[in-house]
Amino acid sequence: MASPRAPLPGLALAAAFLVLAALPLLLGASNYLLGLLISALILAGVALAWALLGNLGGMVSFGHAAFFGVGGYASALLAGKLGLPVLLTVPLGGLLAALASLAMLPALRLSGPYFALAILAYAQIFRILATEASSLTGGAAGLQRYPGLPTVFGLDLASRPGAYALLVALVALGCLAYAAIRRSALGLALRAIAESEDATRVVGVNSVLLKAWMLALSAFITGLFGALNAHIIGFLEPDYAFAGSWSVLPIIASVFGGYRTVLGPVGGAVVIYLFDQVVAKGLIAVGHQILLGLLLVAMVLAAPNGLLGLLERKGGARAGA
Amino acid sequence: MPEPMLETADLRAGYGHITVLWDLSLRFRAGALTAIVGPNGAGKTTLLRALTGLVPHRGTIRLDGQALSGKAWDLAERGLVMVPEGRMVFRDMSVEENLHLGAYPRRCRADLGRNLERVYGLFPRLKERRHQAAGSLSGGEAQMVALGRGLMADPRVLLIDEPSLGLAPVIVQEVFGVIRRLKEAGTTILLVEQNTRMALSVADDVHLLRGGRVRLSEAAAGLDLDRLHDLYFAREQAA
Repeated sequence: MASPRAPLPGLALAAAFLVLAALPLLLGASNYLLGLLISALILAGVALAWALLGNLGGMVSFGHAAFFGVGGYASALLAGKLGLPVLLTVPLGGLLAALASLAMLPALRLSGPYFALAILAYAQIFRILATEASSLTGGAAGLQRYPGLPTVFGLDLASRPGAYALLVALVALGCLAYAAIRRSALGLALRAIAESEDATRVVGVNSVLLKAWMLALSAFITGLFGALNAHIIGFLEPDYAFAGSWSVLPIIASVFGGYRTVLGPVGGAVVIYLFDQVVAKGLIAVGHQILLGLLLVAMVLAAPNGLLGLLERKGGARAGA
Repeated sequence: MPEPMLETADLRAGYGHITVLWDLSLRFRAGALTAIVGPNGAGKTTLLRALTGLVPHRGTIRLDGQALSGKAWDLAERGLVMVPEGRMVFRDMSVEENLHLGAYPRRCRADLGRNLERVYGLFPRLKERRHQAAGSLSGGEAQMVALGRGLMADPRVLLIDEPSLGLAPVIVQEVFGVIRRLKEAGTTILLVEQNTRMALSVADDVHLLRGGRVRLSEAAAGLDLDRLHDLYFAREQAA
């Protein structure tokens, strides 16, 4: 299929990302640094899911915290109360988040800001549910007696290097799935929906059905990372698992990194998370997020296509010289 | 008279509380080019949009005797394919991606390569511009993309809405040349056109709509133009 984006730079970028990802392990990074990177990769997974929904289907979501929280709570409860293995409950957490997204189906006929507002309200429902259904979730006091990640084939996933490796693999898998969908006939139709839903009806695309699939897929990925996060952190409470920051930070990461690309949201998540935790927190202990806002504004002004767009432009200029 | 390929019975359609089409019962012959003419606001575009499921309707639409569901994606799957007014091409996508999207119905995906060659044969200029964004094309070229995209769906009935809109006369001639070739190749075509003279030059049958009702249904050959004009401008009422 003809695409204006050549595949080779994409492959080169993917290879560069994997080498970068392997570096902390090869150089024996401290547990502190690995912990930061693990959190950054959780954010990267959610940012990837958010950008997928925006690019393939044209839906801007302000409510991904709902899927993140549902995935986390579902996996923690299934493992903690029913004793199911964590390797099973994590994908089940994703599935339940996808199931939760079905409640959004009536909103799929809305477009643009109306969809964004509907999903914003929708996300609140789940935070309230998690708080009020206290016999199941522990309510506002939270949930903490549930197992962590297991050891698989001698690799202790609960250790920092183990969790890091697992997250790198899953983020890479998510990128591959996203890229594969985008290149398919389905992906072409989905990009067309993002451009003009009316015109896609003319060519016979069942746009509501395709959008529902993308919402469910995005919710699944978000729930999966929410579940992983729950088992890595070992503690859940409604105000944390459903925090608005799980909706907002993926947007900032995607826009910063380049939301139209596959790797942009991932790179953006790592950069903004490290910047926020290492640089901004060091400068201003309280209210450090304000620097994140300034960083985003600077990026949008300097390079509207984000970090990846900026790299491509510099790369293109060098190749042309 | 041979069994018509597409027919409507008591077709009523509109927008919200406003009814545009009043119980139309029309027949469209297989292999023929039927021109739908009439003044502004007659309901021509609404008729095509009802036939392709883009506006809801009451009454029945039958293709080869089978009633249709009215869902746009299902109608495209059955071969009712629209080339919409104002082209509606995907501006950010390349010419070729637009054409690929035309082949979205499952029925025609296997023939994508063959249909693409056919479209490029009809419109060599599109082949030259295959990687160019459709939004950067001229009006005539965009109309060719819209027509080509319709052909990619292997239409059983091709519904073309105002193909001459906003085009230079020489481009209109070119577009109608292609429409004539499609008709000669046996495609069943419904053509809505403001330019009645151009429409009659290629039509086999003519339906005249005014005020959402059929005023005349006849073969184009031997059509009394004075009568057509009288009906078009509602002169019989004035007289």
